Amino acid sequence: MNHFLIGFSISSLLRRGSKSFFTIFIFTILIFLLSSILFISNSIKEELFITLKSLPQITVQKLQAGRHKNIEISKVDELLKLNGVQSAIPRVWGYYYFERAGVNFSVVGIDSFDKQYKKSFQQIVKDTDFDELSKNNTMVVGVGVKRVLEENYYKDFFNFVKPNGELKKIKIASTFKGSTSLESNDIILMPKDLVLEIFGMSKDEVTDIVLEVANPKEIQTISKKIKNLFPDTRVINNSDLRVSYQNIFDYKSGMFLALFIVSAFTFFMIVYDKASGLSSEEKREIGILKALGWKIDDILKSKFFEAFIVSFISFLSGIILSLFFVYTLQAPILRDIFIGYSRLKPDFDLPFILDFQTLSLLFFLTIPLYIAAIIIPSWRVASMNADEVMR
Amino acid sequence: MIECKNITKIFNQNRPDEQSALKDISLSFAKGEFIVLKGASGSGKSTLLALIAALSKPTLGEVIVDGKRISKMPDNFTALFRRENIGFIFQKYNLIPTLSTYDNIIVPMIPSNPDEKELDKQVDKLLEMFFITDKKNAIIKNLSGGEQQRVAIARALINNPSIIIADEPTANLDAKLSLDFIDIIKKLKSENRTIIIATHDPLFFDLPFVDRVIELKNGEIVCF
Repeated sequence: MNHFLIGFSISSLLRRGSKSFFTIFIFTILIFLLSSILFISNSIKEELFITLKSLPQITVQKLQAGRHKNIEISKVDELLKLNGVQSAIPRVWGYYYFERAGVNFSVVGIDSFDKQYKKSFQQIVKDTDFDELSKNNTMVVGVGVKRVLEENYYKDFFNFVKPNGELKKIKIASTFKGSTSLESNDIILMPKDLVLEIFGMSKDEVTDIVLEVANPKEIQTISKKIKNLFPDTRVINNSDLRVSYQNIFDYKSGMFLALFIVSAFTFFMIVYDKASGLSSEEKREIGILKALGWKIDDILKSKFFEAFIVSFISFLSGIILSLFFVYTLQAPILRDIFIGYSRLKPDFDLPFILDFQTLSLLFFLTIPLYIAAIIIPSWRVASMNADEVMR
Repeated sequence: MIECKNITKIFNQNRPDEQSALKDISLSFAKGEFIVLKGASGSGKSTLLALIAALSKPTLGEVIVDGKRISKMPDNFTALFRRENIGFIFQKYNLIPTLSTYDNIIVPMIPSNPDEKELDKQVDKLLEMFFITDKKNAIIKNLSGGEQQRVAIARALINNPSIIIADEPTANLDAKLSLDFIDIIKKLKSENRTIIIATHDPLFFDLPFVDRVIELKNGEIVCF
């Protein structure tokens, strides 16, 4: 390694201090934008992936006049009689609108003796005595819910307003963090009888029934059987849910793509501008170097080091800034574009996802292009006669 | 031994602004010779120097140095030839104004990745020779014209060249500095280096150690 050549490249950058600083600044901002967009998108994708994995195989809902209605609990036994159905879990859940905070909570009823349809719930049931919760009118809340309640003066309890206007005071027993932020953010878990009371539901009704089938290949067949058996129901299988989740994400990723293209386009414009020529001072310097016995590849090596130093410093700065912006500051402004600015759900944290593929994509999309943008015009000038360049 | 055989140099050939700088010139320079090329501006002196230093190629004819046809060599070979054989002192010095004296002097040596200690010794010797030791770390743009010229000469000598070419070396110097330069040239001549200087400064024409004065006019030799 020729340390004189590297030293010369570094001194060239320092000599053009303000220009080099400006280039690094602009380059850093562009890498910051590109990487922020990719990081946010990756985080949301990860949330989506985990959510999709935890979806029930079949959900049976009762419909009346095309609207979702509570379903009779007696249907559980009939569903269990169907061949291939491994389990049928009646669910009691609903949305509770907390007016003061302007957010919706998802209130889920849990019976400790029931099989839980989500792995994260199974763990909570294992760790919590739900019979005690029932006796003491207490609940377990997601960390996001706890935060919203605390911001609104409910430190250790919450007063639910029942349909008849009466208040139901439920104490907070503990908090939990789900497998995804989206999940743990707005969920309240409490014994089923308390949920039935808060929502004014009859004891022989549930919100819906989720089924587990022994052979996933039979999901479609069993869905059809249920529809035939109970024509007043809607049978949703996990692939239907996956499509609707995917549609929402595809819509968001369309915006992601638009932003990404704009940032990338700006980057390419700058690169093109750089590639389209050198300043007269830079040309003259190349001419002097040639006249003093530098070969074309010596000049190109020096230019390569210069470009690599600039682009690598910018790359590192852009990535570090972007990691701080996305995962520490939670991507203000950009996050709203992707997730949608909504007060209906409490805020959630973007999970930290940093994969080698994303970093490689960013690296190969920016650094080689910038280096090429420096090398190509330098090569054009260095290929001319030294006398001609210095003229 | 430098030979120029039937050299013609045409700039902007086949264009409306075509200009013939040298017309069928043949010359030869022996090793250790001190030659002064004289002539008015535009007579072709600088063009001839550029061809001898392989900074450009003749339109017709060839330049041969120590048996090597340098005018026919590919670019990378001519660069290497310059690095190993030529010390060029430019009229406007062609220093890098934002680098220090030391950094400017070592520029020709950078691609060879020399031994740092040896290089430092060599630079110190040249700085001493040209009385600019105290300017070693000074930035070029802060030096006077005379100091800059001495840096340019030191840079031309860092590779210990056998051929020294200078284009109007005293054009920007006062009388005292011009005489200092002549002293330096005399010393270099005593080291048996070939020296070719293009100038219209009369100071050089009658120097006792000048071997030949060649006059050019409109791209042609008018007087040996």
